[in-house]
Amino acid sequence: MSTSISLRGVGRRFGSAWALADVDLDLAPGVTGLLGPNGAGKTTLLRLFATALSPTEGTVSVLGLDPAEPAERTGIRRRLGYLPQEIGFPRGFSAFAFVDYVALLKEWTQPAARHAEVRRVLDLTGLSGIAAKKIRTLSGGQRRRVALAQALLGPPAVLILDEPTTGLDPEQRATLRTVLAELARTSVVVLSTHQTEDVAALCERVIVLDSGRVRYDGLVTELTGQAAGRVWLADEPDPAASVSWRTGTGRYRNVAEHARTGVEHVEPSLEDAYLLLRGGRPAQADGQAEQAARSREVLS
Amino acid sequence: MTGWHVDDDALRRWIDRTDSLSDGASVEQHLLSCDRCRATVNATVTAGPVAGLVDLTTVWSRTRDAIELPRPSAFERLLRRAGLPEHEARLVAVASAFRGAWLTGVAVVLAFAAVAGALGHSRGAVVFLLVAPLVPCLTVASSYDPEVDPALEPELVTPYPALRLILLRTITVLAVALPAEVLAGLLIPGQARYLWLLPAVGFVAAVLALSTWTSPLRAAVAVSLAWLAAVWLLMARSGSPDAALHDWFQLGYLLLAAASLAIFLIRRGHLRELRPRRS
Repeated sequence: MSTSISLRGVGRRFGSAWALADVDLDLAPGVTGLLGPNGAGKTTLLRLFATALSPTEGTVSVLGLDPAEPAERTGIRRRLGYLPQEIGFPRGFSAFAFVDYVALLKEWTQPAARHAEVRRVLDLTGLSGIAAKKIRTLSGGQRRRVALAQALLGPPAVLILDEPTTGLDPEQRATLRTVLAELARTSVVVLSTHQTEDVAALCERVIVLDSGRVRYDGLVTELTGQAAGRVWLADEPDPAASVSWRTGTGRYRNVAEHARTGVEHVEPSLEDAYLLLRGGRPAQADGQAEQAARSREVLS
Repeated sequence: MTGWHVDDDALRRWIDRTDSLSDGASVEQHLLSCDRCRATVNATVTAGPVAGLVDLTTVWSRTRDAIELPRPSAFERLLRRAGLPEHEARLVAVASAFRGAWLTGVAVVLAFAAVAGALGHSRGAVVFLLVAPLVPCLTVASSYDPEVDPALEPELVTPYPALRLILLRTITVLAVALPAEVLAGLLIPGQARYLWLLPAVGFVAAVLALSTWTSPLRAAVAVSLAWLAAVWLLMARSGSPDAALHDWFQLGYLLLAAASLAIFLIRRGHLRELRPRRS
C-alpha cells in the first residue's frame, strides 16, 4: 500500500514547550484514528498534516510533496480537506454561501461546476434542506456539518478531521461514518476524537498520543486485544482493578493492568484498552479518562 | 392500429410543440391508437434533446440556484462592473471584516476631516495630519487580519495564494479609502491636505511587510503609535504641525515604502501563518 503521509523525527515546539517530539509515522489510504488526552498534541499533529503548521524539527511529506516548499505546499492544498477543531463563520453567511466561499479559495472558479460541488457536499452532510439558512440560525450539530461539508470539497485525497463528531447526534454520526468509509477507499482520512466508539466503528488503525509522543500505533483490533482477560464484571468494585464503574445492569465493570483468573470475563472494548494503555488511572491530571469513567457512572 | 401514419415532419412538430392546436390534437388522437408512431416518438425523444420538452434536472437546478445562491452585494456588483472576475469579486467582497474595515475607515476619515475643519487652521491641520496617514494602513490591516477572521484555519490551507488575496483586498481598500480621504482633505488648508499621501503609502507597505512576522492589526497599531510619537516629538521641537511632512521626511517615506514592499515580497511565504498556539 502506498504511503500518502510520512513524518520522520518530527517535533514541534511552542516557546519552550514541545507539543510533539520524535514522531515517525507513515499513513496510507484508509481511516486512522487519533486518540489521546487533552494536550497530548493531537491538534498540533493534525495541523502539521494539514500544512497549517510547520515542524520545528524533522521532515513531513504529504502525497509525496514537501509542505516546506511553497509550490509543493500549494499542490498538497489542492488535494486536502481540513476540518479544524474550532471554526467560526463570517457574519451573515448561509451554509451554501460559506461552503461556496471555501470552494472559491479551493480554486473552483467555474460557477456551475462550483455550485454543483457545493450541493454535492451539502447533500453528503445532510444539509441540502437548509442550505439557504443563515449559519447563525443553525444548531451546533448543523454548524459542525457545515464545517465538515467544506472539508469534503474536492473530494480530497487527504482528509484531516479534528473532532468531527462533536455535537453530532447518533444518526448524524452514523451518516458521517458511511461518508468517511466511502472516501477512505482511495483517500487518507485522519480523525482525532475523544469518542473511542467512533474509532472502533470506523478506523482500521489507531494512533495514541501522550505528552507529544506516539504511545501506540497499530491496528484497533490489536489494541483492543491487549485488554483480553483484563476486563470482568463483578457485583462489587474489585480492589485489584485499576478502574471500575457501575454499569447499567447494576454490576461493576473492572479493568485491571494484569490478567485475572476466576472471574466473569467480558469482551474488552477499545475504551478498556485505551484506559489500560494510559496506565489505568482515570483520575490523572489530563482528565479525559476520568471524564469517560465519570460519564459511564452518570449513565448507569 | 390504423392504416396510415403521421409523417416524420409532423411528428417532429408535435414533439417540439411547434404545430397548431388542431394539428396537435389530430396527431395526439392518432398516437393513442398507433404503436408504430408512438415508437417513432419514443425513438426521437430518446435520441437527443427536444425543444419544448421540459428538462426537469435543469428546472430543479435553476430553482435551487434561485433559493440557495447568495445574492451579490452592491459592493460585489460594483467590483464586477470595475472588471474584477466573478470569483475574485466574491473573495474581496464576502469578508465581513473587510466590509466593516473600509466602511469604518471612510467614516473615521470623514469624521476627523469635519473635526479638523471645525477647529480652524492650525489645530485642524494637526488633527488631520495625525489621523490621515494612519487610516489606510489600519483599514488594510483589518481587511485581512487572521485574528479577526473567524474561518482562518480552513482558509489557510486552501491553495488560493495568500499574497494575491491580500493584495486584492489591499488595493480595493485603498481604491475606496484614498479618494474619500483626498476629498476630505480638501477641507484642510495648507500643504497638509495632500502631503499625507506618501506617509500613508509608506505605512501601508510597512504593515504589509510587518505582517509577515506578526498579525497585520498589531503591525498597524505599532506603526500608528510610532507615527503619533514622531509627529508629537517633531512638533515639540520645531513648533510646526507639519514638520513630519518636510521634503527629507517625504524621501524617507518613499524609501520606507520601497524597502517594505521588497521585504513583503521576499517574505510572502510567511503571510497568514497560523500563529503558534499550544493545542
